[in-house]
Amino acid sequence: MTAWVLGLVLASYAPQQAGSALLDPPREARVQALGKQLRCPMCQGLSIADSSSSAARAQMDKVRELVAAGRSDREIRDYFTSRYGEWALLDPPASGMNLLVWLLPLLLLVGGGLAIARTMRRPVPVAPAATAGTEERTPPADDPYLEAVRAELRR
Amino acid sequence: MTRRGIWIGLSLAAVTAVLLFVLAKGFGRDPHEVPFQLRGKPAPDFTLKRLDTGAPVKLSELKGKPIVLNFWASWCGPCKMEHPVVAMSARRFGQEFQFFGVVFEDTEENARVFAGAPDPSFPQLVDERSRMAVDYGVTGVPETYFIDAQGILRDKVAYPIDPRTMMEKLAALKQPAGPVSEVVR
Repeated sequence: MTAWVLGLVLASYAPQQAGSALLDPPREARVQALGKQLRCPMCQGLSIADSSSSAARAQMDKVRELVAAGRSDREIRDYFTSRYGEWALLDPPASGMNLLVWLLPLLLLVGGGLAIARTMRRPVPVAPAATAGTEERTPPADDPYLEAVRAELRR
Repeated sequence: MTRRGIWIGLSLAAVTAVLLFVLAKGFGRDPHEVPFQLRGKPAPDFTLKRLDTGAPVKLSELKGKPIVLNFWASWCGPCKMEHPVVAMSARRFGQEFQFFGVVFEDTEENARVFAGAPDPSFPQLVDERSRMAVDYGVTGVPETYFIDAQGILRDKVAYPIDPRTMMEKLAALKQPAGPVSEVVR
């Protein structure tokens, strides 16, 4: 039974292949740094450098191949965006529609700050002195409730 | 309403409109959908060996007849479901189109068991270390790519293809280049 379940589970996974041979340390550091910037197509929000999926390994191989061929970081990012779109970048550039996502919170922050500043600077309205309204609120001298309170105080 | 009130109202309306636009753009699409950027561009060239004979197959030597490339793996359940559709299409339309399977992240032994028996309807190619799959922007399996007779990538289906979709894509592949289906998931 255990063997059957294991067989069923293992059958649904890709056979793992080791990554391609590492480059010399400085170039391999570039490969890893670029891999951290590229999104794994089979995972949820993981970079290809952090994912153990077969597709991510294949993409890391491609990054290594392009670094070994002397391509610049920009050329390598362009290679992936020309195939997967900006979706491939974990940190998309602040341009076009993306610019709105960057600018809108800033605009709201500045707008909110200005609104608060204006409100704070506005002079606080002074409470009106005794007015006709106050007189109206003064209870009449023969108010039975007031008389009751006075009587209570006198005791 | 005072002038100040009008300005505040207009500013709030503008901010709301921009927010709604951004949200509509964001929620209007599947966040897991990977865009198909190679549509209308020349299909990346490849040389892969055939799984059965080991003979090399080079894309640039196949021009003249539309090509259907089906990426699959023996460990992929949906590929098993899809394989009969591609095999049937290859048998039925093999005179007009060239069908190829491309083995993705699998051992040759497993791939032979999957594709070799009982029905080797169309040639299977071995993509060593998935180099060619990355060139095509493959994100998983199964995926099927449609290349016209001029070597232009016209369409892609990123889910198990059904007979009706296959017929539609093959019919579109025979038409001159123009607007094509946006069915990409």
